[in-house]
Amino acid sequence: MNLSRLEIGPLWRALLRNKVGASLIAIQVAVTMAIVINSLAIVIQRDAMMQRDSGLDEDNTFYITSTGYANDFNAQVSVTDDLSRLREMPGIVNAIQINAIPISGGGWSMSLAKTPGDDVETTNTAVYMVDENALETLDLSLVAGREFTPQEIRWRQPSQPNWPSLTIITEALAKSMFDSANNALGQTVYIGDEEPMTIIGVVDQLQAPWVGWSNLEHSMLSPENMAFTSTRYLVRTQAGQRDRMMLEVEEMLSSSQSGRIIRDTTTLTETRDRSYQQHEAMITLLLTVISALLLITIAGIVGLASFSVQKRQQHIGTKRALGATQIDILRFFLLENMLISGVGIILGTLCTVGLNIALVQWFHVTPLAWYYIPAGALVLIIAGQVAVLAPAKNAASISPAMATRAI
Amino acid sequence: MLSMQDLSKTFTTDSVQTHALRDFTLHVNEGEFVAVTGPSGSGKTTFLNIAGLLESFNSGQYILDGHDVSHLTDSQRSKVRNEKIGFIFQNFNLIPDLNLYDNVDVPLRYRGFNGAERKRRIEEGLAQVGLSGRMKHLPSQLSGGQQQRVAIARALAGDPRFILADEPTGNLDSEMAQSVMQLLQAINQQGTTIVMVTHDPALAAQAGRNIFVQDGRVHEEASLC
Ligand SMILES: Nc1ncnc2c1ncn2[C@@H]1O[C@H](COP(=O)(O)OP(=O)(O)O)[C@@H](O)[C@H]1O
Ligand SMILES: [Mg+2]
Repeated sequence: MNLSRLEIGPLWRALLRNKVGASLIAIQVAVTMAIVINSLAIVIQRDAMMQRDSGLDEDNTFYITSTGYANDFNAQVSVTDDLSRLREMPGIVNAIQINAIPISGGGWSMSLAKTPGDDVETTNTAVYMVDENALETLDLSLVAGREFTPQEIRWRQPSQPNWPSLTIITEALAKSMFDSANNALGQTVYIGDEEPMTIIGVVDQLQAPWVGWSNLEHSMLSPENMAFTSTRYLVRTQAGQRDRMMLEVEEMLSSSQSGRIIRDTTTLTETRDRSYQQHEAMITLLLTVISALLLITIAGIVGLASFSVQKRQQHIGTKRALGATQIDILRFFLLENMLISGVGIILGTLCTVGLNIALVQWFHVTPLAWYYIPAGALVLIIAGQVAVLAPAKNAASISPAMATRAI
Repeated sequence: MLSMQDLSKTFTTDSVQTHALRDFTLHVNEGEFVAVTGPSGSGKTTFLNIAGLLESFNSGQYILDGHDVSHLTDSQRSKVRNEKIGFIFQNFNLIPDLNLYDNVDVPLRYRGFNGAERKRRIEEGLAQVGLSGRMKHLPSQLSGGQQQRVAIARALAGDPRFILADEPTGNLDSEMAQSVMQLLQAINQQGTTIVMVTHDPALAAQAGRNIFVQDGRVHEEASLC
């Protein structure tokens, strides 16, 4: 194709003489680009956060609270009895008493150090108090070392401050403190300044209770049962048995002992949904904003192009009379849109980067990956070309006779 | 050479049929300057549009420059218009967003000439109509007569065999009309065939040959006295 047919020079000079409409569209494209790209980046980040694995067999796990109220309520007896009954129920894989539920929003955290003392570098981690059935119940696998033996589990009394001498930690925590799971094995960590705990095992993955926490993958297991009057059991069922088992467990626990109430049976799926509710809402909001902005921009382009085709009927007829083919006319409008979008995209790139810098600074959003910009630009160019196609086709179908007939 | 034999053109709108041309027969020889007159609505513009391949016809035969043009595709017609025909319109039809240089450039770009060739032709064309110094001006900065001169430069830039002009002086005062007429005569003398529709008998009289159209027919062919 002959380049002179493209009329880029005259088109550009004509645009510069008719800035208002074109500038509005270019600015609209720029603003749309900045907001759409930044929103989309946030949506993708949030979605990736939501996809993170807690480590548990979430679909088949639930938890339930037991609260003793009777004066003669013996927590230690009650927990021992509950756990043995739970573990015998057909349909249940395993069950444990636990002090906090992963990704639920509430739990315990402690700081660990490699040397004793209060002036040393520490690493924060979530603490789960569990017994020797933890690995199977929480669906954890050992990366190194071993699990707890029944003899290693102690009883923690209410407001007892000290810690057991053994621990199992997650691989992420091991890497953060000792660079690898194998290096961590056998090491001593100091909890709460000076109490030593020896790492006897490293497990693949177990998330902390707080989904917004930067150390979400840092968790440690402490080998102990709790002699607390109010406590929670985490139950893992066989696949597909969860809902049935929830009812059976509730009934079994309610009838097995008196002097306590059983409540708050909750699935881990519900817990996940609740914890990520804000993220979900944010994603919905941003996707709505993105679609609305794209639609408005496309509508603006269709509007301006239709108006200008309408206004230029006689000029289009004249160009046809002077030798323009239908393709020449079609291409003219596509190219005009491309130039306007191009200016919008140059402006938009600046706006996108500017907005991202502001978001990073003020809202701690992760900086944008560079490829979002060319990808966003491409989407906007394509959207513009699609938007202008119908008006451009109308223009191409204007008869050359309009040169002499138009009013 | 432009030859129409028994051409008919009917416009059908909302079940109303208008016979714009009926058995229209006209032969224009190479190098002629033909003035077409006739009452309003008699079919002059329709004839010129068909002659310039801007419009199709219903029946009859039209031979342009030795070729039967009735079965050309739309893009072939564009090419013939671009290469062989220069149009001059009553309203000048300059593109208001383009300066004079770019206006004259329009048909040359569709012709596929390179930049240097186009520049040469544009400068030559604007010089020929006395507007060399105004190349960067917009049409709106010129008088009607000057705009029509630009339109003439645009029509001539591609060296067409035919100039088709529909009331080229219709929007000009008599002095400007006369100067445009002189320009057309000069062009005709250099060998370009011109067919001009006009309602001004004084101007028509200056053409080499007059035809009179009425009710879509060539009613009377008056030769120059
Ligand atoms: N596009 C059209 N649709 C319907 N009727 C038309 C159209 N163009 C012209 N006509 C009719 O055809 C007849 C001839 O018109 P035209 O060639 O413009 O006449 P003139 O140029 O001599 O004034 C008129 O009756 C006019 O109303
Ligand atoms: Mg007319």
